Amino acid sequence: MKPYFKFELSQFITNKKNIAIYVILLFLACFYALNIAPSYKPIERVDAKEIEARYTSRESFIQNYLNDPNRFQGMASGGLFIFPRWNELDKKRLESLNEGNLKKYASVTSKWYTFSNDLITSTGQYYYSPGYYTHGNLYASDDGNYGYSYSASRYAGYGEGKSKLSINVFEERTALQTLQRLLESYLPMILIICCVFLSVDIVLKDRLYPSLLKGFPISDWKKLLIKGAVALIGSVGIIIPISIGLIMIGIRYGFGDFGLPVAIYTFVGEPTYFKKGEFLNTSMGMYLLQNFIILILLFALIISLVLLASMIIRNEFANLLVGAMFIFNEIFYFKRGIGFFEEVENYPTNYVQVGQIISGYRNYIYNSSALTFDKGVYVLGISTGILILLIFVISKFKRYKLV
Amino acid sequence: MWKLLKNNLIIERSSKKNIFAFIFVALFIFGLAIYMENWDVGNIPAQKTSEQQNVLSALSLFPDMDASADGDSSDLYKNLNEQQRLIALQRISANLNKPDMFAESAINLAKLREETFQLEGFEEVEEFLPTFNENKLESIFYERLTSLDIPIFTDNLTYYQFLIFLFGILGSIWFIFLAFYTCGIMIEDFNHTSLIKGYPLSFDKYVAAKGISTMSIILIFIVEIFLCSLPLIYFRGLGDPSYPVAVFDGNYEIYSIAKYIGVSVLYMIFIAIFVILLSLILNVLLKNMYLTLFVELFLFVLPSLFPRLVSLLPFNPFNYINFTDLLDGKSLELAYPVGLNSTHGLIYIGISIVILVVIANLFLSTGKLKRA
Repeated sequence: MKPYFKFELSQFITNKKNIAIYVILLFLACFYALNIAPSYKPIERVDAKEIEARYTSRESFIQNYLNDPNRFQGMASGGLFIFPRWNELDKKRLESLNEGNLKKYASVTSKWYTFSNDLITSTGQYYYSPGYYTHGNLYASDDGNYGYSYSASRYAGYGEGKSKLSINVFEERTALQTLQRLLESYLPMILIICCVFLSVDIVLKDRLYPSLLKGFPISDWKKLLIKGAVALIGSVGIIIPISIGLIMIGIRYGFGDFGLPVAIYTFVGEPTYFKKGEFLNTSMGMYLLQNFIILILLFALIISLVLLASMIIRNEFANLLVGAMFIFNEIFYFKRGIGFFEEVENYPTNYVQVGQIISGYRNYIYNSSALTFDKGVYVLGISTGILILLIFVISKFKRYKLV
Repeated sequence: MWKLLKNNLIIERSSKKNIFAFIFVALFIFGLAIYMENWDVGNIPAQKTSEQQNVLSALSLFPDMDASADGDSSDLYKNLNEQQRLIALQRISANLNKPDMFAESAINLAKLREETFQLEGFEEVEEFLPTFNENKLESIFYERLTSLDIPIFTDNLTYYQFLIFLFGILGSIWFIFLAFYTCGIMIEDFNHTSLIKGYPLSFDKYVAAKGISTMSIILIFIVEIFLCSLPLIYFRGLGDPSYPVAVFDGNYEIYSIAKYIGVSVLYMIFIAIFVILLSLILNVLLKNMYLTLFVELFLFVLPSLFPRLVSLLPFNPFNYINFTDLLDGKSLELAYPVGLNSTHGLIYIGISIVILVVIANLFLSTGKLKRA
């Protein structure tokens, strides 16, 4: 078996298409590090000016109305009730930022976010950061609620943790935090598409030189197993070009460390229609490890799917389609809040957005509590197992011979 | 050559690749209809609510002041307050089903927004408002609607309305789909060179036959798009083919849905010929199906990675491949804005096709390919 493994691996590495995929990924990673990462504008900025503007206008309101005889009429009383407490937090934020005491800034900011979020959700008279209300966003206040609670939990973690703090850490610009943000947006899609491309011809390329390959004294089933393993190793190798981009970001903005807190949206018990979950912190190392495990399982699932398709359909275009259908299937049934009514957690196609599953964002928008790491491992593991079993059974039929 | 063409078509008819491509196109269209239904695409009250929140958050950047006509606040603040009032009016008229009121306030709103671009401090609120281009398209759309007396509130899943939405997406994926479909156009033949040599025909004729048979399959894809949308007539009705669509084709214009679809189909056919030729040549040069695909996709995304290229090289055919963005005037919203003309686009793609034909002829008659 070993010589065949070496043979497959060398074929895989020297394949022009595979080299092209790695080169394209390297190009994209460098392009991201040099061009897109610097222009990242987080909604939750660390901006002394913004805090000061808010503080002074509220402070002048308080000064104007505090001794006004009409202060109990109309809206003024509401402002007089809320603004002093809000302003106290803002004042502390401003002071600690000017002193350079980042630890204190983190813990006060966490309180500020909790206070603001409670106020905005309960009264409906105030708004989240304007950044959420962009043109065309129909779910701005939902996003704002998520962003504020997420930030509150994150900043609390910074205040208590031992990590070295900086403005870049607060704005999530360091290399590891960039990776975290990317995992929650389009990086998993790119990785899985690359995996499909890497494995798409691994079986069908043999049809060009059948006489050569019939010479290997090894059964079809073992061949497939080795091919799958080679494709999996190759897919994990995608990490190399991506880490080069991350190193470039790290040199510029710092690397961050594995102890940094990552806020995870968790739901204890059954969700109800109005009840929302809460945010709990986990460490960056744990977060990335869980992501990695789910990604590997997804790779294994995709590769076994492609292997099965290559055996039954024997057409590369069909392989690509099967892969694409798996990746994009979720758009067809996705709807905000549908997790409350349907058991979306049982569909393996639901776990493509790895980062959003681990961070709980998918639970938030699906209004579900079941899309978790454990459930993901369980569902993906079982589906991969079933597919491998199918491959085993089918490889025993003469009709589906490989070459 | 006709016999060869017939032979090719018989091969294509039983090709698994084609069967899967047909299934894919059908699934895509049904999926899109389900998606539109699920996401409530084009729900006017929901859109207006979010628009109102945008303006409210733009207003939250200002201290509260007197916004009446002779008040002491800035012009921009007054303008935004007036916008806020008009959007509220639109929401009400949408909910109460008063299309006249809706259109009138839409036109007034667009006029107000046009003024904001000259006002002081506009940069700070820019992200909350539609771009100049979007606003212009909306304003001419509603002006035409009121002048023609066409109903405003329509079902977005009627046949023609759905087609508009569909073609609005096709612009960005048609090229990608074709690149996937045609990237291996000659690869199979390289594996059987002895077979090709046996044909009693010159090689360029053989290639021409191959290109034509692929093109005819692609034409069937285009027909399939219309056929697969037909069930919507049964479920939701036909819609109105003369319903206006605001486009930018060098100037701001109003097309009817029928004309919009016509222009799109014309673009799709031109792009198909272009991609087939590109795949043929790249196949010969690179001798690898995936490298061909990657090169084509790279050329496709290059203008969006480096927007400067669009204004530097307006004759680059890849600027015009995404015909939906072209007709939406998206080139005016780039960092280096440039007004791309859709008729010129067809001409540039046409010229590129001629150049590719010449290149293909030069390459294929030198006999380089035969030894592949």
